[in-house]
Amino acid sequence: MTSANARRFNIGGAIITIITVIAAVLWAFPIYWGIVSSFKLEDEVVRPYIELWPETPTLRHYWFALTQTQIGSWYLNSVATALGVTVLTVSTSLLVGYAISQLRFPGRRPLWWLILASFMVPTQVLIINHFVLIANMGLLNTWAGIILPQLIHPVVIIVYKQFFDQVPREFREAAVMDNASEFRILTKVYIPMNWGVTTALSIVTFIWAWNAFLWPFLAVTRTEMMTITVGITQVSDAFGVYYARQLASAVLAGFPVALAYLLFQRRVTQAITLSAGIKG
Amino acid sequence: MAEIALQNVSKSFGAVEVIKDISLKVEQGEFVVFLGPSGSGKSTLLRMIAGLESIDRGKLLIGGRECQDLAPGQRDVAMVFQNYALYPHMTVRENMAFGLRNVGMNEKDIAERVADAGRILEMDALLDRRPSQLSGGQRQRVAIGRAIVKEPAAFLFDEPLSNLDAALRVRTRVELAQLHQRIAATMIYVTHDQTEAMTLADRIVILNDCRIEQIGTPMEVYTYPASRFVAGFVGSPGMNFLKAEVTTSGKEAVATLGDGSRVEMTVTIPDSGAYELGIRPEAVHVTAEEGDTTGEATVVEHLGDRTLVYARLGDGTEVIALDGGRSQVAPGDTVALRFDTSQLHLFDSAGHAYHAD
Repeated sequence: MTSANARRFNIGGAIITIITVIAAVLWAFPIYWGIVSSFKLEDEVVRPYIELWPETPTLRHYWFALTQTQIGSWYLNSVATALGVTVLTVSTSLLVGYAISQLRFPGRRPLWWLILASFMVPTQVLIINHFVLIANMGLLNTWAGIILPQLIHPVVIIVYKQFFDQVPREFREAAVMDNASEFRILTKVYIPMNWGVTTALSIVTFIWAWNAFLWPFLAVTRTEMMTITVGITQVSDAFGVYYARQLASAVLAGFPVALAYLLFQRRVTQAITLSAGIKG
Repeated sequence: MAEIALQNVSKSFGAVEVIKDISLKVEQGEFVVFLGPSGSGKSTLLRMIAGLESIDRGKLLIGGRECQDLAPGQRDVAMVFQNYALYPHMTVRENMAFGLRNVGMNEKDIAERVADAGRILEMDALLDRRPSQLSGGQRQRVAIGRAIVKEPAAFLFDEPLSNLDAALRVRTRVELAQLHQRIAATMIYVTHDQTEAMTLADRIVILNDCRIEQIGTPMEVYTYPASRFVAGFVGSPGMNFLKAEVTTSGKEAVATLGDGSRVEMTVTIPDSGAYELGIRPEAVHVTAEEGDTTGEATVVEHLGDRTLVYARLGDGTEVIALDGGRSQVAPGDTVALRFDTSQLHLFDSAGHAYHAD
């Protein structure tokens, strides 16, 4: 590469870097604003001009959220339901994905089409049916009621099927020659060979479930059974909206997910890449 | 160890028949190689014995037991795959133990068998490594070890050396031959490499177009090929084929080649007429005296101990002849060629072979 070319390349790179930085700032500013505002006094938040740093930093809104609300129960409900959704979604999806990918049984193709077709139906369309069903089952205001309708994630099945399809046929044949039952082939060969995708899908499913709002909002009316996303809507009172207090609750609600993301960043990115081509 | 018998087995994929009515018996402790070009059905036949492909018609007997309807794991055979198929997340030890754990063998016996296999294959030091930490040759050995620990009635090898480089292939081939002598197991080995077939086999089964062309010892198929296909497929460099008009009376025959030269031989053929005359390069000698025919040397390959002379006859037919290591023949020379008439073969239009005495 000549020096002139190298310079041109650097200029191009610099322009892209600047654009990326601007985009990142634009994207991150609301988050920064939210976090900073949660440390401001309520009257500072509503001032008509922009203050990038709190004049009198305070933890009172966090103290309020932690002591005056049922945030402990909401955390517990969120953890329990998000874990439930994750474990059940991933375990059932991997079984379905394996069956469709590796087993030959009557109705396999129609089942596959059905799963693909279920993409066409947004969850919101079914939400009234879900509500009636769960209400009839007497599961409103329960963890099971929150979890069950959230188990429909065809994308997880599709990702698993794709990964199982890519396992070379010889591994399965070697296991068959080794007298392995179908269950052992799945648990001892296919799952361990795809740990990466299982981890990635588990994290993403957990984040989806943690962030879910619409269904938990409908399925729960009792404050102590709310998940954190629903619970933080309860911090306003009859005297109006308290922005700083709500933002402090929102920060607390988002904190575990942000932590999970930071810890498993690479896996999450991988999972999003995996499902990006599929999830419309 | 057990014998394996195939009785009139056939298989189709949809409308395409890939194995046509094959019968074959592999004796106990025998090393049989299925040799054939791509698409000849050799791998399919092996997979049918393994149980990885179904048998549409006919019987498969392993140790006298009918196995055509049994699941692969119940046939008491072990298979070594071309790509080894070692489970990447398991250590060598776990890879070998997997099949034994599946049948509920106790851990003490498993440990013994794995240790034995490790000793036989000289890989004791590798038992706690993962496949990714092994070289190609070591992986191949683990794949064989995984078969050995099962102590099966027969071993099935599906082109096991084709992923190795040339030097390693030769070494592993020798090791396989030694292994067979040591454990004296029934082995069926699929390859398209005739050197592997010639060096390893007690008997070679040559397949072409989904049927058996010939079954015989390596020297039988080399010296007395049953058909034009076998003659052309076995041997490197390949057999020379020359168009000839043959007249016969009793056991004597005279072949007139395309360039007008005449070759006399002792052979019994049904009729006079057009045949293909086949002769291996080592039976065509470059001679300083008068030969059976002459040709112009086009390419000369010095291989050290011998020299291959590619000669073009008067009618344009190319013949490969063998000369000594210190051959003085150069491209463009006219060379006299003498045929060893006891090593001539005639092939009729259907490809059937007649061998000269």
